[in-house]
Formats: sequence, structure tokens, C-alpha cells
Amino acid sequence: MGSVMECKHLWKTYEKHLVAVKDVSMSIGKGEIKLIFGPSGSGKSTFLRCMAMLTPVDEGDIYLTDECLTAKGVNLNAARARIGFVFQHIYLFRHLTALGNVELALRYVQKLPKNQARERALEALREVKMEEWSHHYPSQLSGGQQQRVGIARALAHDPRIMLLDEPTSALDPELTAEVIDTLRDLAKEGVTMLIVSHEMPFAREVAHEMIFYDQGAIVETGPPEHFFNHPNSERAKKFMTRLIKRTERE
Amino acid sequence: MFEFLGPYLPTIADGLVLTLEVTVFGLFAGLGLGTLLALGDIYGGRVTSSVIRVYVEFFRGSPLIIQLILAQYAVPALLPLRYPPLVTAFTVFALNSAAYQKGYIKGALQTVAQDQMDAGLSVGMSGKQTLWHVILPQAFRIVIPAWTNEFCSLTKSTSALGFVGFMDLTGAGRSIVGSEYIVLPAWIIIAAIYLAWITAFTKIADIVYEKKKIPGLEISPV
Repeated sequence: MGSVMECKHLWKTYEKHLVAVKDVSMSIGKGEIKLIFGPSGSGKSTFLRCMAMLTPVDEGDIYLTDECLTAKGVNLNAARARIGFVFQHIYLFRHLTALGNVELALRYVQKLPKNQARERALEALREVKMEEWSHHYPSQLSGGQQQRVGIARALAHDPRIMLLDEPTSALDPELTAEVIDTLRDLAKEGVTMLIVSHEMPFAREVAHEMIFYDQGAIVETGPPEHFFNHPNSERAKKFMTRLIKRTERE
Repeated sequence: MFEFLGPYLPTIADGLVLTLEVTVFGLFAGLGLGTLLALGDIYGGRVTSSVIRVYVEFFRGSPLIIQLILAQYAVPALLPLRYPPLVTAFTVFALNSAAYQKGYIKGALQTVAQDQMDAGLSVGMSGKQTLWHVILPQAFRIVIPAWTNEFCSLTKSTSALGFVGFMDLTGAGRSIVGSEYIVLPAWIIIAAIYLAWITAFTKIADIVYEKKKIPGLEISPV
């Protein structure tokens, strides 16, 4: 299976001391779903932002299919247009309706004519079951609905991969379910996804591989069952125990 | 009580027209230039930003009357520039207003947080596209109330035009008082005209603000 996205020996340091990404290499194949988890502050978000070319890396290479995105002279805007990114804090365009949010890049990046952009945007909103709310502004939507629009916005330009940075962690617990349902639908459709998340039941259900990330590095990888039953490293063991306890409490 | 006005109506009308023209031109040219200055200050790097800061300090830190006098008499004396007096009036008001509006617009741009830029980039838009389609539309909505204030202040500043030989609305008042020795009624009329124009314009701005207001963006930080 050829990889959709790959990174080799990625490094990212903040202000000399804080190493957020320490020699990280990974690859993800078409239709695969990989889930990154680990303690907060370990650099997961930075890693994902680097992969999306939203944060420049210090060293290392990132490939989208066969194209090296970290090479000199690459059109970063065009590269980002082929990657779908979902933010932890959603970041919808606050002056646009749900439809406007999804439509904007279709109009000005994909250069679709107005009608086609509208149609394509409505289709994306339908996929996340937000079509009815298309004329509402972000502040008129619940957090879960906003995040579904965020997913539709990323999905609308038919990206090769979706990168999702803790898509549910800024939401109230009762709102996470609808977003998880949406992600489950995408998984069924075979969308390639790299997700930072601590939603363990969801991970167990859909992830092909889980990646335990701590102190800027990949500590351990394996299928969900591996982590739920017998993770190798002490750190992963401890972290899993805590996560499972928390999930059971909920 | 106001019969004395009759012969002066044309003077008042001319004065009002000049005041309106200079205000409206200054306000809109100042908006365009102020936006460029704000963008230059935020994104232009250290040198550009220092130059802009000097510009702003000069226009905010010196009296408008002196700016008009300098433009009218000093600039043509020092530089090989010749221009009709009206050009002075229009240019100085635009430059002066731009210095103030730059501050308002910069503030508004900065309240539109970095996250909107990230969101724009994440869908493949360039920085410029995001600025144009996402950040400026939000900033302009935020800036409308401050901009309305700038309009009020600019209108009244046009009184300074009298010092460099123009007959603006206040100048019209002065000429009535000077020839008729009717002081209070004349100034009351002139003040009422200012008041009516400012009220009308701010009402329009309020309507535009209400119309363009977007849920969740209406709380103005200014």
C-alpha cells in the first residue's frame, strides 16, 4: 500500500528548550485511520500542525503521496488545499454562515463557479448532517454543530487526508457524541485520517493503529487491542490505565 | 429673529458644501490609507512600521491648523510642488484622518485573532486571500463605531479651514457675525446645521452597522 502521507525524521523545537517533535517518522496509507494519543503538552498538536504545513518544521521531510512538501519552492497553499485540517478550538470563520464557511475555499481556492461551490458545500454539510443549519452563523450553533461544520469545511475540497487535532476535547461531554458519530461515518466511507484524540471507545472501534506520543516522540505503536491489553512501555501502561479509568467514570 | 439670514444663505450653502466635501473625502480616503498603514504596521516589518509610527505621531501630535498652514505655505516654498489650495485641504484631511483611522483599524485587525488566519491557511487560501476574505471583513465591522466617532470629529475639524483662507461652514458663520453683529443667533444656526448633518450621518452609519452586524461579532471592543 503506497502511503498517502509520510514524514521522515521530523524535528520542531520551540525556543531551544522545548522539543515538541523529536525525530518523528511515520506514514499512513490510503483509507487508514491512525490515532495519536498521549499526555497534554507532549507535542501532539505541534506534530499535527507540522504535518499540515501550518507550522514550519526545523528539520525533516513531509510527503503527501509522492510530493515532498518540505522541499524548497513548494506552493504551500496548494499543498494545504489537499489536506483537510480540523482544529481543536474549531476556528470557524466568524463572519460567515455554516454554508459560507464551507463555500469560501471552494470559491477562491478551487475556483468553482458560484452554483457549483454552493452545491458542493451543501453536499459536504449534508455529510455531517448540518444541511438544515446552513444559514446559521457560528455563534448560533452549539459547539458540536460548529465542529461538524469545521469537519465539512475540511472535507469539502476532497482532501487526500484528514488531520484532526483533538476534535472533541473542547466540547462539553454531551456534545462529543455527535462529532464522534460524524467521524465514524467518515471512517465507514474509507476517509484517510490521522486523529489526535483520547476518545478511547472510538479509537478501539475505528483505529487501525494507535500511536502513543510522549515528550515529542513516538513511544509505541500498535493496534488498539495491543494498548488495551498489554502495552509494552511503562509510560503507555500508566497512561492507558488513567484513560480507561476516566472513560469508565464517564 | 432669523430674518437677517436671507442674504447669507448662499454663503452658508457654499460653506456647508465645502465642509461636507472635505469631511467625506477625508473620511473615505483616510479609511483606505489608514487600512494600508495598519496592514503595513502589522505585516510590513520593522522599518515600515517605524516609518508609519513617525507618520502617525506627526499627524496626531500636531494641531490640524498647523498641518494645513505647513501644507499651504511651507511645502510649496521648500519643494518644487505647485497645487491649487483645495488640493491642500483635501490632502491634509485625508492624511490626518488616516493617522487616526490606522489606530482604530489596527486595533480591530488585532482583535480578529490569529486563529482566523490559521483557519484560512488550513483550507488552502493564501495569507493575502485570508486577509481579504476573512480578516478585513471582520475588522471593518468591528471598526464602524470608532469610525463614526472619527467622522464626527473630522466634521468639526473642518473649522480649521478658515485659517488658511477657505470659506467652510464655520467661516460662513464668522462672515455673518462680522458684517451683521448678530452673534448668538448666527452661531446657533451654524451649530444646528453641524448637528443635523452629524446626526443624519451617524444614523446612516448605525443602520449600516445594524444591517452588516453578524451574530457573535456585534460586541465592539472599541
